[in-house]
Amino acid sequence: MVPQLSDAELEIMKIVWGNPEEVTLFPYILEGLAARGRPCQKNTLIVLLSRLMKKGFLHAKKTGRRNEYTVLISEAEYQTAQTQCFLDKIYEGSAAGLVSNLIMGDLLAEEEYEELKRLLEKGTGPG
Amino acid sequence: MNTVWTLFLSMSLSGGLLILVLFGGKRIWRDKISRQWQYYVWLIAVLRLLLPFAPEPNLLGTAYRAVQQAAVQTIPTPAPAPAPAPQPTLPRTEQAPIFSASSQPPQTSAAPRPLADLASLAAGNLWLLWLCGALGLLLRKITIYQSFMRYIKAGLTPVFDLERLDQLAITAAQAGVRRPVELCVNPLVSSPMLIGFFHPCIVLPRADYSAQEFQYIALHELTHHKRRDICYKWFVQITVCLHWFNPLVYLMSREINRACEFSCDEAVLTKMGCASARGYGQTLLDAMASVGRYRESLGAVTLSENKQLLKERLGAIMKFHKPSIGGRLLTAVLTMCVVLGAAFVGPYTMCNAVGNTYAAGVSKASPQMDTLELKGKTYYQVANEAQLRAIGTGQYGMDLNYMQQADIYLSANDWVPIGTWDDPFTGSYNGNGFEIIGLTMTDPDAEIIGLFGVTKNAHIYNITLRDYDITRAGKNAAQKSIGAILAIGQGSRSYDNFVYPKETTVTFPWLNEAAQKAWLTKFYADGDFASFSLAVRWLDKNSPLFRELAEKAYADEKIAFFSILTDCMEEAELEFWLERALEDASWAFQSMLYNRLNKYDEFEAQKEEQEKEWAEAQRKEYQAVGVMFDGKNYYYQGKLVNVFLDERANHSFYTLNTNPAGTINIKIIRDKQDNITGAAYMTQEEVTSLFGDDLYDGCEVFSVDLERAAAGETVLLGEYTLAYGDEIEYAIYAGKGAEMKVFFAQDGQSDPVYWSVHNVRQRGELLECAADWTMEPPAAKPGTYQLYLQAPNGPLEDVMGYVMIEHADAF
Repeated sequence: MVPQLSDAELEIMKIVWGNPEEVTLFPYILEGLAARGRPCQKNTLIVLLSRLMKKGFLHAKKTGRRNEYTVLISEAEYQTAQTQCFLDKIYEGSAAGLVSNLIMGDLLAEEEYEELKRLLEKGTGPG
Repeated sequence: MNTVWTLFLSMSLSGGLLILVLFGGKRIWRDKISRQWQYYVWLIAVLRLLLPFAPEPNLLGTAYRAVQQAAVQTIPTPAPAPAPAPQPTLPRTEQAPIFSASSQPPQTSAAPRPLADLASLAAGNLWLLWLCGALGLLLRKITIYQSFMRYIKAGLTPVFDLERLDQLAITAAQAGVRRPVELCVNPLVSSPMLIGFFHPCIVLPRADYSAQEFQYIALHELTHHKRRDICYKWFVQITVCLHWFNPLVYLMSREINRACEFSCDEAVLTKMGCASARGYGQTLLDAMASVGRYRESLGAVTLSENKQLLKERLGAIMKFHKPSIGGRLLTAVLTMCVVLGAAFVGPYTMCNAVGNTYAAGVSKASPQMDTLELKGKTYYQVANEAQLRAIGTGQYGMDLNYMQQADIYLSANDWVPIGTWDDPFTGSYNGNGFEIIGLTMTDPDAEIIGLFGVTKNAHIYNITLRDYDITRAGKNAAQKSIGAILAIGQGSRSYDNFVYPKETTVTFPWLNEAAQKAWLTKFYADGDFASFSLAVRWLDKNSPLFRELAEKAYADEKIAFFSILTDCMEEAELEFWLERALEDASWAFQSMLYNRLNKYDEFEAQKEEQEKEWAEAQRKEYQAVGVMFDGKNYYYQGKLVNVFLDERANHSFYTLNTNPAGTINIKIIRDKQDNITGAAYMTQEEVTSLFGDDLYDGCEVFSVDLERAAAGETVLLGEYTLAYGDEIEYAIYAGKGAEMKVFFAQDGQSDPVYWSVHNVRQRGELLECAADWTMEPPAAKPGTYQLYLQAPNGPLEDVMGYVMIEHADAF
């Protein structure tokens, strides 16, 4: 089971997921956090990164004194797992319940609804 | 082992003393001196408990000596040990360690033996008990710590609040902690604490501290981490485990934990300033209010540990002020005092043990001897100096049997040899493997020098005499009788004795020439090379004594002694001796002297020449009886000789020469003095007995000649019957080709292969496969083997070689 992420951890993971490079370096994350308006201390980031590694989201390869972080759980995997968790908790596993709620609650725009319909008819997921 | 145990016990005692001193001192310096000092000063006590070093005169050493002497006084004779194993280095201190020694009741003859034996057995194995206790306790502490850690870690939830984490990171930077510090919450802990040594983690009982409170808590815990308090605590715990029997170490451990918190508070306040004292104290109180369920705090550093301590800490916090110069001075002086004190109370050491037995032996021991019945003989037991000196006096006659029962350290009082011309020693003395140490004779007028003086038909054996010093009495030794063990024997037997003189050679240069000569002569006669070589170095190389010794060694052909002397010789001197050796045709001396002169080549040449001369002389001798030698072949009556034998009466050969081309067998006949008297034909029996059945019958040689082996082909080269002990040798060469494999196999199977060789041609070298071995179990079984050649990589051409088999049963 994919573990939960805290807000701060999710913030970091988003930066790492958003990195087009294969490996992510420490300064990249630090700058990313600052750019998102959530600057933090270096040692705080180290602590958070080590928590992410313990949870199995990241893997760090030491080259010299530099850590190269690689993603172990992709964004899609995390989203799927989180959605599944959400479905189980709130809708007792029923995706239909979720979709109907989205429609009923006017949470779905017209275009989004059309796109969903098209996807369902094709029987294939996006990507 | 008991000695080590005694040492350890005394370490515990001296450490305990220091602990008491520090507790006493605490009352004086509690509020005057920095808490940090009060914390680290305990380290001296811990080290005192762990380190066995101390300067020579120290409190416990002296005390131990006094106790030991008292023990010796009350127990006049050590318990008889029927066959004690000799232990040369460690002194035998069989008495129980300190505590029991002083409290042991005087052992009267009425005391029940078995009980005493049991007590001594228990005393002997006390160290085992101690070891078990120490290990058990350490193990217990470790398991408690582990289960505590598991307990803490099980309920750990990381703090997600980024601001908190940032505050911690900043505080850590202030406190000088470089490592990233993890922050977690565990509602089960009673107060904030720090766990983990390499990956520090602050564990809070709850998350909702105010920023200021959190600041205090973080700073306190980080100070612990910075000062490596966990290390200190474990160090103390290990000491407690080792000294588990000492109640004072538990007190010390508790006090160190308290001092740790006090000094940590002090460090925090120094950093934050006096103004924060109130807020910090408040935080401590709040931390105390929430009481956790797990009370064990071993190995972790908690913020507050109990109420009493908390009260004191609050008091100290409110009284906090920056240290003054006077305070610092006082600190320095006190540190000096404690360190010196620690050194002074130091444990009793090994050398004390020696000196102490010594002192006890000299002054207090009684000359009364116990007796021991062995095979119908009565042996008087000698265990101390007084008893040894009593031999030949009063009831201890010169005709009795004595047996040593302990190492005896003799005092510096001059030794009086046992037995005189008027009253020789006629009994027996068995050293029993024990040592007599420090026998000294200084009286220059003494005429008989040795442990025993004059004896008659006595038996003196098994004695080890160590560090004896009789050189000063040995002056003018020429007219005296000297012997370390026995001076004048008169039919006595002296055997299995060992003597180790006290650095004789140190005093040697101050002796006059006659004494030097006497000693050197004695070393020479005793074959004592080591002492001789040391003593010779002090001699004047041009002295008549040196020349005399060299002359004597040369005349006696004692080449080892002569060689020692040549070490000190000048080149001219060596040349002189070489001349003499050449004149006397003394090969051994020549060889040695040439070597000393770095002219070994010359010696070789000389030897070669000599051998040539001999060969020529022999040739002439043979010629006289009709055997001609042309340097290679022997001829007799114009015919080439096949076997030529010239042997001594003891059947060792002068010459044995064979030439297969020869047609006759000739032997030289010698008389009993090995002089040649003639030559004769050898009978067939003589030849047979000389060589066995036939010279070449046992050896088969097969040649291998193969024009070509195609690539990948395996060619059978031959088949041989081999038995155990057969020696087989093959060497196969290939003129052309890159790779060749040669192997033996059985029954046409190429698996397994025996004695296979697989070679690749090296540039510019012959492609060769060669091996030689002896058929031996279990590598192979006797039987029929086929020899194969294989061309694993490309064809082979012009394959030549041989297989030679020397059958074991041939000779």
